[in-house]
Formats: sequence, C-alpha cells, structure tokens
Amino acid sequence: MRTKLRQNITGLLFLLPAVVLFAVFVVYPIVYNMQASTLDWDGVNAGTFVGFDNYVKLFQDPTFLIALRNSAYWIPLTIIPQALIGFLLALALNRGLFASTVYRAIFFIPAILSPVVVGIVWQRIMDPFNGVFTSVGKATGLDWLGGNFLANPQTAIFAVIFVNIWMWTGFSMLFYLAGLQLIDTSVLEAAKIDGAGPLQTTARIIFPLLKSTHLSLLLLGIIGSLKTFELVYVLTQGGPAHASEMLPTYAFQQAFQLQSVGYASTISVVLIVIAVASSLSMVRVFGAGFISGDEK
Amino acid sequence: MIATAVRRRSRLARRGRWLHAVLIPLAVLWMVPVIMVIGLSLMPSSNPETTLFGILPAQPSFSNYVIVWQQNPILLHAANSLLIAVPSVAIVIVVGSMAAFALARLRVPLRGLIFGTLILALVLPMSGIVVATFKILQALGLYNSLLGLVLAYSALGLPFAIIIIRTSFLAIPYETYEAAVTDGANAWQIFWRVYFPLARPALAVVVIWQVMMSWNDFLLPLVTLSSNELKPLTLVPLAYRGIFLSQPGALFAVLVLISIPVVAVFLLVQRYLVNGLAGAIK
Repeated sequence: MRTKLRQNITGLLFLLPAVVLFAVFVVYPIVYNMQASTLDWDGVNAGTFVGFDNYVKLFQDPTFLIALRNSAYWIPLTIIPQALIGFLLALALNRGLFASTVYRAIFFIPAILSPVVVGIVWQRIMDPFNGVFTSVGKATGLDWLGGNFLANPQTAIFAVIFVNIWMWTGFSMLFYLAGLQLIDTSVLEAAKIDGAGPLQTTARIIFPLLKSTHLSLLLLGIIGSLKTFELVYVLTQGGPAHASEMLPTYAFQQAFQLQSVGYASTISVVLIVIAVASSLSMVRVFGAGFISGDEK
Repeated sequence: MIATAVRRRSRLARRGRWLHAVLIPLAVLWMVPVIMVIGLSLMPSSNPETTLFGILPAQPSFSNYVIVWQQNPILLHAANSLLIAVPSVAIVIVVGSMAAFALARLRVPLRGLIFGTLILALVLPMSGIVVATFKILQALGLYNSLLGLVLAYSALGLPFAIIIIRTSFLAIPYETYEAAVTDGANAWQIFWRVYFPLARPALAVVVIWQVMMSWNDFLLPLVTLSSNELKPLTLVPLAYRGIFLSQPGALFAVLVLISIPVVAVFLLVQRYLVNGLAGAIK
C-alpha cells in the first residue's frame, strides 16, 4: 500500500509541470470562454449576463454561416489534394532516388515558413499589376490569370485554399514517407512473386496498409482547417466583405476590432465544440490507437 | 544479405530515373515563391523593375538589407523571437518528455482523464482561446511580457510532444526499465539517463514542430504585446506595413530574415524527421 502510494506520487511529480501549464493555458481558457459567451461584454467594462442570447444571435448571423460554409469547402479541398500529391511524392521519394533528400527538403520547406512570409509572397504572386500570374497570363495569352483572385469575393476563399495546399503538401509527404517505412518489405515481395504489378501493389497493398497515416492526416487536416487563422489573416483578413472568413478570423475581428468579447467567446466555444466533436467521433469510429500509439 | 539489399535498392533507383523528368519541373515550380522571396529582397527601391515574370529583380543589390538594418532595430526583434522560441522549445522538450515518461512507464492515477485532456488540448484552436489567454496573462501580470508567450506556447505545444515522445518511449523494451530498477536506479535517473537520450528522433520532430509554432506565430504576440521593443520578427512586416508600402524590397528582406533560422533548424534535424514520425504513427 505504501509503495503504491509512493509510486503514484512519483508519477504525479513527473506529470506536475505539464498539468499546471495545461490547467492555466488550456483548461482555464475553455471555462473562461464558456462563461464569457453568456455575457454582453466589451472586454473592459463589466459585462451583462444575457444567457444564450449570443448563441441565438450567432446562428442567425450570415457571416457565421459564411464561415461555416468556408470551413466546409476548406476541409475536403485541402485534405484531399495534400494527401494525394503528398502520397505520390512519398512513393517517388521512398526508393532511394538520386537527390531524394533535396526533393524532400524542397517540398517540405513551405510548411516551415511563417504564414506571414507565405501570405505576403503569395499576395505579390497574385497581384493583378506586377504579380507572377498576371505576367504569365500576358505571356501565354491566358488572360484570366490576371484576375484579382484575393479581392474577388467569388474566388477569395479558393485562392487562400490554393496557397494552403502549396504550404502543407510537404507535411503530408513527410507523414507518408514515415508510414511507408513501416511497411514490411516481405509483403511487397510476396505480392511481386504472386504477379502483382506496381500499380496493383500500390493500390491494393500499400494504400490500405497506410490506414493509420491516412487517419492521422485526416484528423490533423480537420483540426488544422478549423484552426486556420494566420494565412487568411495575412492574405485577405477574411475579406472582401467576409467572403473568405473562417471562424477564427471572425472571432478575432469581433474580439479585437469590434470589442464584442462576449460574442467572440461564443464563436470560440462553437469552434472548440466542433473541433472536439469531430476529433472525438473520429477516435470513436477508427479507434484511438492512431493517436495514443497503443495496440489496436 | 546487405549487399543484395543495396544492389536491389540501387536497381530500384535506376529504374525510377524517369521520375526526375516529373520531379524536377515540379520542384522548380514549388520553389517559385521561395525564390521570389529571396529575389525580391534584392530589388532596390530605386529600380523596382523585375524580370522572369516578376520573380527576380532586374538589377539586384543588397541595399535592402542595409535599409532594414538602419531603419528598424532588427537585431532586437530577432532577439525577442529567440527569447520566445528557445525557452519554449526547452520547456516542451523537458516537461513533455517527463509527462510522456510518466504516462508510458510509471503508475499514474486518472490516466484516462489526463489522456482526454491531452486530446482536447491537441484540437484546441489557438485563436479560440486567444481572448482568454490575453485575459489570463493580464491577471498573472504577464501581459506585454515575453515570459507569458513562452508559457502559452509551451502549454499549446505539449500535447503533440507528449503523444509523440510517449510512443517512442513505449517502443523501448520494458526489460530495460526493469533492469534499471533492479540496478537500483530511481525513476528520474532512468528517465534522464536511459529513456530521454533514446528518444532523439521523436525529439527532433518535437523541436521542429515547436520552433514552427513559437517562431512563426504572430497571433499571440499581436494581442499580448503592446511595446514595440518586445515584438518578435514576425510582427515587423505587420507593424511597419505603412513604411514597407514604398519599399517592397525591404519588406522581402525582412521575410528572408524571418525564414533563415527556421530553415536552418529544419536542415539540422531533417535526417531524424522521417524516423521520428515513423515511430509516432506506428
């Protein structure tokens, strides 16, 4: 009994610093948000309690609906191309090709750049006056390339998504390279002996064996999409006229530009609920093994 | 055995040579924005002419770096970035692997609750808690202080670190732990001398991830720092937006300066990354 207690204390001591940091910067903010979401509050003066009014208002807010629709575009339109291109790159670079480390670095570098850097350079690339797209459009006769994609409400969100794909494809590639390393080569040789062609091996054996990689990327992709703030903020600030608004940028605007901290907290609570619900349901459906590393 | 494997591998590589025909153009295309950042940083404000579809300056010069150096206290901003990133990486590595060790090898009460909170924290959007973080830092007297940022980034980086490091600890045979216990080592010694050094590939992943978060982010500094002399590099393009309008070349020079350290860290840990991730997603 005594030793058990002592072991428990040792374990807790190892966990203590992490638990304290968590409590202050993760758990408390969530509680705080929930509380603030029931207030009509400018963040400075005392707030008035309004119950669920903010939530009622939010679900009738057209900008909130635009942000939800944009997330609905964002999730599949980033995850699928990133995974597809990343998978193909990983397949190509997993076979000890000459200079494959250089290729890996080239495709991964966009992911490690600051969104400030990425945002500003892509603004310039898509600039309708001296941008790269315009120049290429002029040279090739493809005039539509000269469009002001970021300022056009019809295209703004897709332009941001496009940049996001460029930025994060290398990340998917790295995940697939890691996943490919774990595949037992004897399985592939057996398939070869059985007369499977390379295409068949890829589609029928390699692709299914990478299940936990697909799932990790799917989960990280959904979370990442919901979290997206920086890139949108630098590229469009959620504009024009909220056309490329995402939940985080809208919350930010409400809190720090319009001083409606109560309403911003409501948006944040909804965001957290969506993020947690979607990840929990994924963990439930597919098993938690791919996160915790436990045996499935 | 090894010789045949190597021969097989090189044969495979030779057969894949046609891939270069696809990969080279794709890689060049992929690098266009990066080349452009470097290219435009060499574009003098006296001659904003460009060539090659606007990617490179017509008359490159290093004048922008001189301008940036003279115009802003750029070293101060770089020092701020370092003072945010380095301590937060250190905290996440040490605190994260301690927690990971406890969860992998020690007896811990409420394990399920702790894991639940971990996953919650992993999915928590930084922008969702930024208002609350801002208020908490104010209450702790850490508003407008770099320490507040360090602690916030450490907390947000921990879940990913703990999950990845714990997986790599679990991969170390349990017998190692038992043998060390029999030899009379205490928990801390086993952790620090045996487990921690063995987790190097996983730690590489954590380092790059944490550097990406703490060095690249501008949201938290934007709302929690009010003094200009505390701002990290990432805020320079936003804080001096007006000035840079007439000096796009200088703006891109700042972008190059922001990017060099992260790219350097990436190149240093690159060879561990794939293995570290492979351990983590097994």
